Amino acid sequence: MPSRESSAALSLRGLSKAYGRTVAVDRLDLEVPRGSFFGLVGPNGAGKTSTLSMATGLLRPDAGTAHVLGHDVWSDTVYAKRLVGILPDGLRLFDRLTGLQLICYSGLLRGMDRTVVTERAQELLGALGLADAGGILVVDYSAGMTKKISLACALIHAPRLLVLDEPFEAVDPISASTIRQILEGYAASGGTVILSSHVMDLVQRLCDRVAIVAAGQIRAVGTLDEVRAGMTLEERFVHLVGGQTDVGEGLAWLRTSSD
Amino acid sequence: MVAHIVGLKWLLLRNGLRRSTPQVVGLILGGLYGLAVLGGALSGLIALRFGLPSDVARTTITVGGSAVTFGWVVMPIVAFGADETLDPVRFATMAVPRRELVLGLLLSSLVGVPGVVTAVLGLATVITWSRSVLAVLVAPVGAAVAVLTCVALSRVTSTAFSAMSRNRRSRESAPVLMLLAAVGLWIGGSSIMERLLAPGLLPRIADVLGWTPLGLAWSAPADIVDGAIGSGLLRLTLAVIVLAVALLAWESLLGSALENPRGTSGDAPARHDAGLGSFGWLPATPTGAVAARSLTSWRRDPRYVTSGALMILLPLALLLPALTGSSSIWTLAMAPAAGFMLGWSTHNDIAYDGTAFWGHIATGVSGRADRIGRLAPTAMAASVLLPGYATLGCALTGRWSLWPALLGIGLGFLLCGFGVANVMSALQPYPVPGPGENPFGAPPGSSALTVVVQAVAGVAVFVLNLPLLGIGIGALLGHVWMGWLCLGLAAFFGSAALALGTWWGARIYERRAPELLADLSRIR
Repeated sequence: MPSRESSAALSLRGLSKAYGRTVAVDRLDLEVPRGSFFGLVGPNGAGKTSTLSMATGLLRPDAGTAHVLGHDVWSDTVYAKRLVGILPDGLRLFDRLTGLQLICYSGLLRGMDRTVVTERAQELLGALGLADAGGILVVDYSAGMTKKISLACALIHAPRLLVLDEPFEAVDPISASTIRQILEGYAASGGTVILSSHVMDLVQRLCDRVAIVAAGQIRAVGTLDEVRAGMTLEERFVHLVGGQTDVGEGLAWLRTSSD
Repeated sequence: MVAHIVGLKWLLLRNGLRRSTPQVVGLILGGLYGLAVLGGALSGLIALRFGLPSDVARTTITVGGSAVTFGWVVMPIVAFGADETLDPVRFATMAVPRRELVLGLLLSSLVGVPGVVTAVLGLATVITWSRSVLAVLVAPVGAAVAVLTCVALSRVTSTAFSAMSRNRRSRESAPVLMLLAAVGLWIGGSSIMERLLAPGLLPRIADVLGWTPLGLAWSAPADIVDGAIGSGLLRLTLAVIVLAVALLAWESLLGSALENPRGTSGDAPARHDAGLGSFGWLPATPTGAVAARSLTSWRRDPRYVTSGALMILLPLALLLPALTGSSSIWTLAMAPAAGFMLGWSTHNDIAYDGTAFWGHIATGVSGRADRIGRLAPTAMAASVLLPGYATLGCALTGRWSLWPALLGIGLGFLLCGFGVANVMSALQPYPVPGPGENPFGAPPGSSALTVVVQAVAGVAVFVLNLPLLGIGIGALLGHVWMGWLCLGLAAFFGSAALALGTWWGARIYERRAPELLADLSRIR
């Protein structure tokens, strides 16, 4: 049972991380309400991956706390990890396993029963359109298949919170729509999803709550409409984060495509 | 264009030196060594002209030249992945006319230490052959053809090999095959060398090689010197044909590589393996799962396959003296050596996971399950190899009373090795080649840490086993009861070392798992 009744699925307080002199995350506070579909957007190097890694126990924060449904990720580790499913970005998989083996591995590592794990793994493979690829080594998967198999690994133990770092990067439209459907179903049944992405359109369509991160801090957070403030998410994002270069009349030679 | 490509190679070489001081020092030492070898070879070639009869020159240059050419042919396979300078596929997006690319890449191969050395040696043979006017005319042509053939053949292998290795499975099986071939050569080599040095054989070999593509160009001037002008010119013509064929073959390989840079066709169908594999029969616990994953990696990851093959083959090297009939005493060391290597081998196991290790952190696997599960493959191998090698050693020496002592020392090394490895791999991973990279390649900038960790782990295992070794020597001197004492103590203290190492390693693991992941992403 949760140690204290908390309305937040994920609660970050004063989270900080520096690599040498570079500050990646700077006293970041964030509340992700239960049952929300939460989008974290920000430019490259804004600290999204560091934040999500610290929220899930993969990266030790320099300061601050992270709670999952009331459990401290860094002291109540075992219980907190049971509640979370993770899809990290830029980390390898044990890719010498077949797809089926990889999903089962994540389940068995969590101490789950073998029959349950195998049944769920087969169902997940089917739902993700990987039924024929269950026996292929993950190293031979395409980028989209790899994301899907990682998602399956994150779902095998029926987590209450899903933390997905760039789940749609390098994913083809068909795989993306499969992933989207599964996530929407998961959120509709009461699960909480937090994902990071560069693709504003997608966040706008999927998420009901959004936070804009830049330079390791939250610049805006709230429901989609609150954050947008009458603009599109992209306009609001560029407005808040800034730094867009006005190309103007430069690169004129590129436009001489008369022939 | 040709000049551009040659210039590019030069620039790549020069910029490679800018990276780090140790690299420059290494290159200077390598260069000095190369100069010494070159100097020796040069004075030899000149001595062949003035001090020795011409048939010695023929034999030496034909055999030596053929060996150099053969070296060029196999070098791209041995050093695969090590030198990708001017990989033709990188030119795929640039519209370089094929003929110019061929010529440019051919000449650029001569830029660099091996190219310069070969060219200088080729030129020096002109001095060796300067015994008649006609020979002085033919020798430079022969040398030029010979050197260009070296380079062209080497390009053929490298292009063919890189075409082949665009398929993951053939790329990854190559180093394993190479390893087996090397061991075969090494075992076969010693006895062959003895026979090669028998008088009269080398000239006969030279005769044969002189008519193969490897030796044609090298031996052509020898015929001229000996007055066999027709045969000499025939060899020269054939050599030019060989060079032309090599160039054409390379050009066509290059064409297919450029048109299909990613190898989208011709991939073997991916392996289909529907079942759970070892996940199906090992215990359905976190420990069992880690064990099943390790077993699968030992079977499918070339990095594990090569080290596993080495661990089985290296103790077999101790058989060699017995096989050649000199002494069988070394076979007694097989079981201890195998125990040492198997136990010590997992001391950097987490590094082989790379960042995939996040899966263990995310699922909250206990340190104990992680530590013990990883030992499964080596423990299973040891359960067969240690008794097997101990029995073999006793059988070959006829000293069956030593069996318990041999097994005991092997077991002691194995279990202490496990204990030490369980601590070391949680404490300090060091860089290893990534999955799919050349298992024999060392990632740059890793050597100091690697040496320290390997030495600490090795010395720790050895020191922990000194008492057992002492008792084992007692058994060797004839005290049979000491052998059984050795086995008993090995089982007892080895288990204690394993338990202690696992407990300590698990504590370190649980305290620093996220830091380990950070280390792993940094060293990769």
